[in-house]
Amino acid sequence: MSASFLDDATLADLLVQLETEGLAAAESRELDARLARSPGASRDALAPAAAALTLAARLPQEAMPAALRARIAERGREAVRATAAGKVVQFGAPPATAAVRGSLLGWYAAAASLLLAVTAWWPRLAEPPAQVAGIPLPVPTLAEQRAALIASRQGVIQQSWTPTEDAAAGGLAGDVVWDPATQTGYMRFRGLAANDAALEQYQLWIFDGTRDDRYPVDGGVFDMPAGTDEVVVPIHARLPVRKAALFAVTVEPPGGVVVSARQRIVALAQVATG
Amino acid sequence: MTESLMTRIARGEEAAVAEVMEQYGSLVWAIARRLTRNPSDAEDAVQEIFTDIWRSAHRFDPAAGSEKVFVTTIARRRLIDRMRRLANRVQTESTDVLDELGFHTPDTAAEISVEAERAARVVARLRPEQRKVIELGLLHGLSHSDIARVTQLPLGTVKTFMRRGLIQVREMMGIGPEVAGAEGDA
Repeated sequence: MSASFLDDATLADLLVQLETEGLAAAESRELDARLARSPGASRDALAPAAAALTLAARLPQEAMPAALRARIAERGREAVRATAAGKVVQFGAPPATAAVRGSLLGWYAAAASLLLAVTAWWPRLAEPPAQVAGIPLPVPTLAEQRAALIASRQGVIQQSWTPTEDAAAGGLAGDVVWDPATQTGYMRFRGLAANDAALEQYQLWIFDGTRDDRYPVDGGVFDMPAGTDEVVVPIHARLPVRKAALFAVTVEPPGGVVVSARQRIVALAQVATG
Repeated sequence: MTESLMTRIARGEEAAVAEVMEQYGSLVWAIARRLTRNPSDAEDAVQEIFTDIWRSAHRFDPAAGSEKVFVTTIARRRLIDRMRRLANRVQTESTDVLDELGFHTPDTAAEISVEAERAARVVARLRPEQRKVIELGLLHGLSHSDIARVTQLPLGTVKTFMRRGLIQVREMMGIGPEVAGAEGDA
């Protein structure tokens, strides 16, 4: 029988745990380290087997509630429509009661007026952060991917968050890292309030200096798990961002929105010009 | 060859959404109902899963497995992530409170997918206690330590059963074993 990376029982056990109960941050790092030492090894090595066993099970035959099915389909059509349209996301008209909402000027004003001494907090970011698992097929941890992106090339933007006065942003610190060349990036948060994904989710918006200010690019929806010191979230820009000018995080209904009401803005990161 | 639904979704074909719901809605719902506490949790989870599916459709690679396996993998990953986030892993004292699910025979599994049929063939050869361990871990969402407690098996045995079972299914699917140093994977 041929030698396989799965002959490493510890590596195999970690891969099994990944597919059955998930991994803690330290376990995930150990898995990545072992995978790096194992040529041909993949973090997804056992995913198809776990899926096949699930498919082979006698799962209960129960129809999805019609209202839920309709809701998901509507969201799906919105997402697919946005893809087909080139994925520019339009913000809706600002509500009359909004204070720090309105034109892009308002976003910049919020960024400029809410200064925090985030530099004093930087050293505490040395410990490994927790992760939000998003989509399948990740390879290294998000923190490692972020670090690799920063180290890999010049021209990577790194900008600290400026929290707004929104209650979810109390104590918020962190930064956004964005590579214009590869169109990839990561957000790092500490102190952003945990959300109940059934009620609301965070959503990133990227203002592109070469586009109309009214049409920021959707950067993806994400959650803040409770009980974590620090979270790294990948950015999923729906459109190429030619010149990132401002990153903004809002609170939106579950699944995010195509048109934001801009009622809750929690964090801004203005890219330095020059 | 018919174009996959995921490819059509990734291309922005709106009509494919209804077909995805028709094709995979019940499957995702069934998996979510298995691995969440109640219908309300399942509804939240299913919305998260489909959000992932719309976003990840462009990652689907037919050479790496069927669309059904792709969707099931997304569902499983999201549900595991959710269980960890909400810390609502099933807690139980005895297998008596866990409803028996069991696995299809290879013949009936073949109606679901070729991967399911191959997995069912492996399961059919397993000893009952190993089959139980896999069922508790993959279909009931129990942690390895909970499985050990429920089945009265040593934790090491539970891990070995899970590992061997998954690797056997992987090999049956034609994915492994691979020679160390070989390129590529599932």
